[in-house]
Amino acid sequence: MSQKTNSLKQLALQKFKKNFWGVLSFYFIALVGLISIFAYVFAPDNSQYANQMHLAIHSKQPGFKVQMLTIPSKITMNQSLIDRVFFGRKNTNTEVPISEYTITEDELVYKEFASDGLQGAEKELKLNIFPNNSPKEYIEHKTFLFGTDKYGRDLLSRVLVGARISFFIGFVAVLISLIIGVTLGSIAGYFGGKIDALIMWIINVTWSIPTLLLVIAITLALGKGFWQVFIAVGLTMWVEVARVVRGQIISTKEMQYVTAARALGYNDFRIITKHILPNIMAPVIVISAANFAAAILIESGLSFLGIGAQPPMASWGAMIKDHYNYIILGKPYLAVIPGLCIMSLVMAFMLIGNALRDAFDVKS
Amino acid sequence: MNSILKVNNLNIAFGINEVIHNISYHLNKNEILGIVGESGSGKSVSSLAILGLLPKKISKITNGSILYNGDDLTQLNSKAFQKIRGLKIAMIFQEPMSSLNPSMACGDQVEEILLQHSNLSKKQVKEETLTLFEKVKLPQPERVFNAYPHEISGGQKQRVMIAMAIACKPDILIADEPTTALDVTVQKDIITLLKDLQAQTKMSIIFITHDLALISEIAHRVLVMYKGEIVEQGEVETIFKNPEHNYTKALINSRPTLKTRLKILPTIQDFLNDSISDEIITPAERQKHHKKLYSKPPLLEVINVEKEYLTKSGWFTKPQHFKAVNNVSFKLYEGETLGLVGESGCGKSTLGNAILQLDKATTGSILYKGTDITKLSKKETRVLRKEIQIIFQDPYSSLNPRIPVGEAILEPMKVHNLFNSDVERKAQVIEILNKVGLSEDYYNRYPHEFSGGQRQRIGIARTIALQPKLIVCDESVSALDISVQAQVLNLLNTLKIDFGFTYIFISHDLAVVKYMSDQLLVMNQGKIEELGDADIIYSDPEKEYTKKLIHAIPKGL
Repeated sequence: MSQKTNSLKQLALQKFKKNFWGVLSFYFIALVGLISIFAYVFAPDNSQYANQMHLAIHSKQPGFKVQMLTIPSKITMNQSLIDRVFFGRKNTNTEVPISEYTITEDELVYKEFASDGLQGAEKELKLNIFPNNSPKEYIEHKTFLFGTDKYGRDLLSRVLVGARISFFIGFVAVLISLIIGVTLGSIAGYFGGKIDALIMWIINVTWSIPTLLLVIAITLALGKGFWQVFIAVGLTMWVEVARVVRGQIISTKEMQYVTAARALGYNDFRIITKHILPNIMAPVIVISAANFAAAILIESGLSFLGIGAQPPMASWGAMIKDHYNYIILGKPYLAVIPGLCIMSLVMAFMLIGNALRDAFDVKS
Repeated sequence: MNSILKVNNLNIAFGINEVIHNISYHLNKNEILGIVGESGSGKSVSSLAILGLLPKKISKITNGSILYNGDDLTQLNSKAFQKIRGLKIAMIFQEPMSSLNPSMACGDQVEEILLQHSNLSKKQVKEETLTLFEKVKLPQPERVFNAYPHEISGGQKQRVMIAMAIACKPDILIADEPTTALDVTVQKDIITLLKDLQAQTKMSIIFITHDLALISEIAHRVLVMYKGEIVEQGEVETIFKNPEHNYTKALINSRPTLKTRLKILPTIQDFLNDSISDEIITPAERQKHHKKLYSKPPLLEVINVEKEYLTKSGWFTKPQHFKAVNNVSFKLYEGETLGLVGESGCGKSTLGNAILQLDKATTGSILYKGTDITKLSKKETRVLRKEIQIIFQDPYSSLNPRIPVGEAILEPMKVHNLFNSDVERKAQVIEILNKVGLSEDYYNRYPHEFSGGQRQRIGIARTIALQPKLIVCDESVSALDISVQAQVLNLLNTLKIDFGFTYIFISHDLAVVKYMSDQLLVMNQGKIEELGDADIIYSDPEKEYTKKLIHAIPKGL
C-alpha cells in the first residue's frame, strides 16, 4: 500500500505553487529579504548607513559618473568581518570627487569637482599619506546607478540598506502582533463570557484610536528611534489579529472534534494549541501578510513625519521625506525610486496574501 | 404516448470524472416516480440536470438528451430555462431551513413566484397564495402569510416550500429528499400531503430519497441508482417483493426490521459474497440475557436530572426558563444498551451531554458506580472521561482535519497515561484499527482521505482507545448510508461483546434503536414518556405519543 499522505497543508502548498503571482511575489520577497540581510555586501557604498557624503555631487541623475579620490584616514578601525558585513564599515576615509589630477614628484595635485560649469578649487596633497607613495590606486571612476541624494550619498546603497528597515519592521511588527493577538484572541474566543467581554473592551478601545496617533503616542512614550517604531507598530497591529483569531475560535469551538477533544479529557491548553489553532492558521497567515504590508506603510509614514528611523539611518520613508520637494524641481527620481520600492514590496505582500487565501480555501 | 419526460442515455461528468453513466428513464403523466440510492449515487445530480441547475463551470453533460414534451432540455439556454423552471417543472429541496429567504415573509416569497409567472393582479395573487397555504394544510394561513421563516416550524417551512413549488401548477415536481431533515411524524404528514396534492392536480412527481421504506409508501414506480447507474427499475411491488439486483436486495435487507432481531445485519458485501447469516436472537435468549444483566447493581443511575436554559429576549423582559430536560430518572446496568429515542428538540442529546459532563445538569444527580459525578472537580472530571465516552453523529466534523488518524487515536492514550511508551501505544492503535476493520496502512492518513463510513470507524476507534466502560452513541449512525449503517451497527455489537461496553444509544430512528436496545426510553419535550423493555414498548405502547411515533415509521412493503 502506498504510504503517501496528503495533509491539508500539502494540498494548500500544491495549490499555492500553481498561482503565478503568488510564486512571483514569494521570490520577490525572498530576494528583498536576502538583500536586506546582506545589504552591505551588495551596496557600492558599504559605509555604515551608506552615509558617505560628497556634497559637491549632490542630487545627480541616475547613471552619473565621476572620478573619485579616496584619502585614507590615519585612524585604523579594528572591525571584525561579521560586523562589517552586517552593519557596514565604520569608515573614516574621506572621498573627494575630482575632475582632473596630476602627480608630481612628491605631491598630488587635483581639481575638485564642481557642477553647473563652475571651476573647482585646485588642491595638493603630499604623496606620503598614501601607502607606497602611489595615489593611483586611490583614484577611480565611480558610477552612481541611481544617482546621488541631496547630501551626495549613493542612492542605490541607501535604497538597499533602507530595505532592511522596511523588511524588519514588517517582521517584528507581525511577530509582536501574532504573539499578543493570538494569545488574547484565543483566550477571549475559547473561554467567552466575562473574559471575552474584558478583552473585547481592550480591543475596541485600542481599535478606536487612530493607528498613526497611537504609534506617535507610543513612540513618544518609549522615545524616538528604530526599535521603538518596531514595537509601536506591533502593538497597534495585534488588535486585528486578535479579532480574527477570536472570531475563528468561536466558530471552530462548535466543531465536533473540539467537543470530542473535551470528551476525551484533554485540558484547555492542549485543545487550543493542538486542536483549534492549527485549524485556524489560514486566515491568520493571510492577515499577517496584509499586516506585513501595512507595517511597511506605517513605518514609511512615520519616517516621513520624522518620528520613524532617525538620520543617518536609511529608510525609504525618510528618503522620500528628504527629497519630496525635488519632485517639482526636475529631479523626481530621488523620491520616486524609494516610492517604487515601497509600492512593489507592499504589493508583493498583498499578492502573496491573496494567493495564500485562495490556496487555503479548501472548498473549491 | 403517456410519458411527459424522457431521459435518454444521459452522461454527466465533473471535470474528467464521469458521475452519471448512460442512464435512461421516463416519467409518465400523473405518476410518482421514486429515485432511491445512497449518497454519491448520482440521484440528485441527475435531477438537477433536468432543471439545468448543474454548476456550469465544473460539470458537463457529455452525452444524451432530456426530452420534455419533445423539447430537449440539455440544449436550452438559460433564458429559455427561466420559463420552464417554477412554471412547468418545480423543485423542493432537502433543507427547508436554508431554502427560504430568512429576510422575507413567507407570503411574499410565494407571491413573488406568482407575480413572476402569471398576469394576476396584486389582490388576486394574495388570494391565490392564501388558497395555496390552505391547500398545503398550513394551520392559520393568515398568520403564516405574514410570518418570517424563523417564526414557523420545520414542517411548516417545508409546506411553504411545497406551496411555492405548486404555485404555478407545474407539470412536474421534483422533490429532492424533502423529508430527510424532518421528524418521522412530520415526515408522515408531508408524504400524505404530497400524495393528496398529486391525486388532486394530476401532476407528475419525481421523489428522490435514500429511504426505501419511505419510497414504497409514496411511489408508483421506482428507480434504484448505484454509483451513477440505474441498476433496477420497475413497479414498486415487483422491486420490493422480487428484487433482482444484489444491490437492491442489500438495500432492502440491511435496514433493521421491526419484526425480527437478526444477530448480524447483512451488508452489501454479504450479498455479493452470498454469505448472509439469518440467525436471529429469539425472545427466550434475550430474556435469559436480561436476567443476568439486571441481577447486578446499576452502573449508572440518573436521578431527577433537570437542565434549564435561560432565554433572554429583551433588556427589560424577565428571562424565560426553558427546561430541555425535565425530571428524568433511570438506571443503566453494566453490559446493556439503553435506547434513547425522541423527536428533534426533545432533549435527548442534552441528556447525553449531561451524563458526559460536557454540559452540567442544573439539578439532580448522576451516580456512576455509586459516586455523584455532577459534584466532581474539573480535574476529577478529566479522569472520569476515561470511563465515559461518546461516539458522535457527524463523521466529517468529529475528526480534526490536521491530525493523521493514527495520531488522533494515540493522543487520548498519551493524555491519560495509558501504556508506558509511544511504541506500545502505537502497537495498541494498530490493534484497534484492525478491530474496527481498518488496516494499519491508514495510520498516517488524514481524515479527508476517508469515506464517511471509514471516518465513523475511526471515531469509534478513538473512543475505544481509552477502554471506557460506558459509551454514549449520539445519533452515531444517522449520517451514514443504509449499507454503511448496517456495518457500523454490526461493529458496535461486536465491540460490545469483545470489550463489555455499556451503550446509551441516542437516535431519532426507532427501527435502529429498537434493533440495538435492551431497554428503551422514549422522550418527549424533556420528559420521559415511556421506559421499559424495547420489544414490549414497541409491541404494546402505552402512551399516545409513543403510538404516534411508532405509527409514523415508514413500514415498507
